[in-house]
Amino acid sequence: MPDTLPFPPRMGSNAGQPLSRRDGPLKVTGAATFAADNHPEGMLYAVPATAAIARGRVTGMNVAAARAHPGVVEVYTPANRPPLMHDPDEKLGLFGMRMEALQNDSVRYAGQPIAFVVAETLEAATEGAALLAPEYAAEPARVTAETGERYTPERVGFGGPLSVGAGDIEAGLAAAAHRLETRFETPDQYHNAMEPHALVAQWDGDKLTLDTPNQAIVMACGLFAAYFGIPAENIHLRSPFLGGGFGSKAVPTGAQILTILAARELGRPVKLALTRQQMFGPVGHRARTWQTLRMGLDGAGKLTALHHHSTGATSSFDDFIEPAAAASRTLYASPAILTTHDGIRLDTGTPGAMRAPGEASGSAALEVAIDEAAEVCGMNPLAFRLANYAEVEPITGKPYSSKALRECYEAGAKAFGWASRPLAPRQMRDEAGMLTGWGMGTAVFHCPMFPASAEAVIRADGTAVIRTSGADMGQGAWTALAQIGAAALGLDPDQVEFESGHSHLPDAGVAGGSGHTASAGQALHNAGEDAVARLAELASTDPASPLYGTGNAGVLARRGRLYARDDESRSESYAEILARAGKPQVEGTGKGARDPASAETYALQAHGAVFAEVKVDPELGQMRVSRMIGAFAAGRIINPKLARSQYLGGMIWGLSFALHEEAIHDRRTGRIVNADFAGYHVPVNADVPEMEAIMIHEDDPHVNVLGVKGVGEIGITGSVGAVANAIWHATGFRPHRFPVRIEDVLPSLS
Amino acid sequence: MTYVLNLTINGAAQAIALDDPRVTLLDLLRERLHLTGAKKGCDRGQCGACTVLVDGRRINSCLTLAVSLDGVEITTIEGLAEGETLHPVQQAFIEHDGFQCGFCTPGQIMSAVGLIGEGQAGTDPERIREGMSGNICRCGAYHGIVEAVLDAQATFQDGVKRKTA
Amino acid sequence: MYANEYLTGEAELAEYVRPRSLEEALAIAGRGAKPLAGCTDLFPATDRPALGGALLDLTGVEGLSGITRTDRGWRIGAVTRWAEVAGAALPPAFDGLRAAAREVGAIQIQNAGTVGGNLCNASPAADGVPPLLTLDARVELASAAGRREMALAEFVTGPRRTALAEGEILTAVIVPEPAGRGAFLKLGARSSLVISIVMAAGRIDVAGGRVAEAAFSVGACSPVAVRLPALEAALAGLPVAEAADRVEAGLVVPALSALSDLRAEAGYRAEASVVLIRRLVAGLTGGAA
Repeated sequence: MPDTLPFPPRMGSNAGQPLSRRDGPLKVTGAATFAADNHPEGMLYAVPATAAIARGRVTGMNVAAARAHPGVVEVYTPANRPPLMHDPDEKLGLFGMRMEALQNDSVRYAGQPIAFVVAETLEAATEGAALLAPEYAAEPARVTAETGERYTPERVGFGGPLSVGAGDIEAGLAAAAHRLETRFETPDQYHNAMEPHALVAQWDGDKLTLDTPNQAIVMACGLFAAYFGIPAENIHLRSPFLGGGFGSKAVPTGAQILTILAARELGRPVKLALTRQQMFGPVGHRARTWQTLRMGLDGAGKLTALHHHSTGATSSFDDFIEPAAAASRTLYASPAILTTHDGIRLDTGTPGAMRAPGEASGSAALEVAIDEAAEVCGMNPLAFRLANYAEVEPITGKPYSSKALRECYEAGAKAFGWASRPLAPRQMRDEAGMLTGWGMGTAVFHCPMFPASAEAVIRADGTAVIRTSGADMGQGAWTALAQIGAAALGLDPDQVEFESGHSHLPDAGVAGGSGHTASAGQALHNAGEDAVARLAELASTDPASPLYGTGNAGVLARRGRLYARDDESRSESYAEILARAGKPQVEGTGKGARDPASAETYALQAHGAVFAEVKVDPELGQMRVSRMIGAFAAGRIINPKLARSQYLGGMIWGLSFALHEEAIHDRRTGRIVNADFAGYHVPVNADVPEMEAIMIHEDDPHVNVLGVKGVGEIGITGSVGAVANAIWHATGFRPHRFPVRIEDVLPSLS
Repeated sequence: MTYVLNLTINGAAQAIALDDPRVTLLDLLRERLHLTGAKKGCDRGQCGACTVLVDGRRINSCLTLAVSLDGVEITTIEGLAEGETLHPVQQAFIEHDGFQCGFCTPGQIMSAVGLIGEGQAGTDPERIREGMSGNICRCGAYHGIVEAVLDAQATFQDGVKRKTA
Repeated sequence: MYANEYLTGEAELAEYVRPRSLEEALAIAGRGAKPLAGCTDLFPATDRPALGGALLDLTGVEGLSGITRTDRGWRIGAVTRWAEVAGAALPPAFDGLRAAAREVGAIQIQNAGTVGGNLCNASPAADGVPPLLTLDARVELASAAGRREMALAEFVTGPRRTALAEGEILTAVIVPEPAGRGAFLKLGARSSLVISIVMAAGRIDVAGGRVAEAAFSVGACSPVAVRLPALEAALAGLPVAEAADRVEAGLVVPALSALSDLRAEAGYRAEASVVLIRRLVAGLTGGAA
């Protein structure tokens, strides 16, 4: 290899620079093509009819009326749905979920697809679905903790262990000067990406083209293919842009499968675009948790025991238990830590990963509990956190690959002005008389990587093209991954064409778990280095080259030229090297994956500290976040402009978790009563205050070759606790359920 | 029954025959005229992704019956740039990273153009936030949006000053 | 759309008609077409695109739009958009109405939604109703059979219910020349783009340092927005400096039949109403609450 120094050794690259998004011009002109923007010739429209009950059977539908509506082409029900090659009730692989594709007449949750109408126009399909007027044999809905079935799952999250711990909790509690037990509830939350799930399917023989937003493009082809008995390569899945994903757009869902089926049966392209209301059920959500934290504290305010138990809700027919207690495994030092889970089955759709699965709900509880512990000990919440700072990962004893959390605390506290915070609550009012409080929370997110591959081609004109099936759902993959590839190639990003966003490219793995930049980025980095090595090989073995005899480890790649490492007066451009060699291009390939040795040796976590100011109307109990500052350490930042947006977006999700988001079920019918944007509140612009994201640099040679940890999800984790703790500081009321409601706060005000 | 509308869309006059009075302006633009810049995020006027200008006023095109618009002038995101030259609001959204996934962006930008045209917001970020609150951004790009609107508005005011100077 | 043929009653009623004259509109309404204007409530209220029979679009009817001053006070055409109300040059007594106009959904909604639509839709949370109640607004109704007028307070009879007869159209809101200054406060779970938990409107006319006239109303709290006569009577004649302190639950809460729903509990609504009213009084009398 020409250069094995850690990234980025190359001069003249723009990696690390705050470049604007490469897809910006497309997105601001309306030219960015999202899935539902496609209109192949002869396209039909599909609209699912959905169940109005949460459990039972569909006993009848007026299929004749729907069929008779002008423009309706076909109505699929369990009675006439053509066969699939894979049972929708069988899981496929680690990420596959059970789905509803009209396999029978049972209803497992409100909002489940129970029929599928295909028509010449969207209006006709919608009206056709409404005309079905289904009748049901309903059974009582089980949508509360009291009515759900409690059970012990085999795994939590995607295959994670149910229980992890070390030390003796009971002994730690027994020895403690203070003991604290505190309970939390977090609500059902729905991803609600702005782009509702959509799919346009077109068949050509046994070849299938899918326009659909997807976070794991190549993997998804394998899943889709299984239902139709075709090789995965026969599917061309195009997902150049995702209108937000947040975890909900990785695996196929029933309505998508039915759309593909209808396109095949009817011999015409078919488009599906879910309505906003149809997003509440079949496409995953962050499920409710009921969490208990038991803590022991010694006289100096150090934890002697920390037991975090989380009960997570899942559906009646599939398992996804939020790994919420996992948040307590890595953040605070304690001689005894235990994290445990169990589950409750409800008549809802199956939950799944939603931005910071596990950590978001878990750290919401943990960070409030930690504040309560600080209060019990009479300590400033920051001092308490520092007193329990984990120098090594508590349960495993592993060193952290890097951990600049202390620097995050310092920088965040300084920027916020934390030092002047009164210890007791209800000490501050603003000029308008609003109760004012300051709170903090620690942010944490693990740093997974997924297997990824890429290729890089240096072309005769000295420019390059890099390829990987990456997914840009707003995090900036089109830009950050191109910067990484360009840096490895020793080229300016303007010289590098980036092909991404469809399945006929090397597999970029999953855009999830905040691991896409690290995984696909490492593949691109390695592919770029490989291509440069091949170029160096050509030059160093060519007597006519000024680089003759350097050997490929003896050159540096910079601004489209190779330089002799020990004598920079010897150099040659990529174009010259290729021209003399008579080659149109050189190609390199690369892979990205977690190095098992580093995962074995090190604890790999990103950290941060979030500080929030909340104002509470002393008469009305209205709560407004007025200021938020986060400081985050997530290894190397490839593009600070985009990383800032990720951090701020995450913090807004934290604010939203703390104050706004909650899907509410009607206990009688099991339906979600606020299944739209008027009822399911996410913050609007006016809800979001001045915010700042401070980036703390970490050199991390262990996490991966790029030193990248990931920034997509961590912002939410400390923010929920920071807002809740600020509410306590403003009012003296300690929130234990989210979102924090006016009626919870009100009694403390009078 | 066929309904004939005369509309001017992004400067081009067109006569449109509609066979169905149920078609909303948004569905007319997206599904029949293939102007897919305006997006459907909720179809109920609750998110703003479908915002377009009708006679210069920003409205939710998902709430508007197309048949009701005979004789109006419509501007969509596709009609904002002049050739390769981006509108100042578009340019400012890129510079200030006023979007992430980009799905709500056409609506945000049309709303921002409408807001600046209303001339009510001034330079107070709080007024901008209020004025842009009909457009939900789930990614949370609100800071960049407010910065972009302030920046673009200043560009316009500079332009007006230069013209009147 | 051309609608002249409907005047004769011979043409088959199309699914959508947009007449130019009130005469045509009334003829069509008389045949059962459903009147609509800004459409901002039409789609959110239904899960299907079927428009439920013939639609009568009033936005093209001459004379139904705009705000004019007449010898009887102010006339607000039924299809006047909320954005026009917000921006209109009106006396200070209308400040509450103008503030409410700016709270109707988002600006995109204010640019489409109309005053008449808001009243006819009769949502308990309709932003326009409380300030119009404090302005003693009357509504002008027309049908092929003739015209009539009634107090707004009588027009809205319940949640989603009005006194509109079959075939009748609301043509205008009439506000007798009002005195004093108005104000409006809205409480919601989000800072903007939000359905109210409670809203309150007030108007006070001050003369010689005393409250000469007071009008207050609370919406989103009860099935129908209500005036607060006991409070108004208690405030009348008080020195302005004492007015805010006079606001107490006993003068407000009995007039409400506060509702519990997804957005808030009845008890909170009642308490919050009192707080909002006190703040309105303080603001309108120049004092602090």
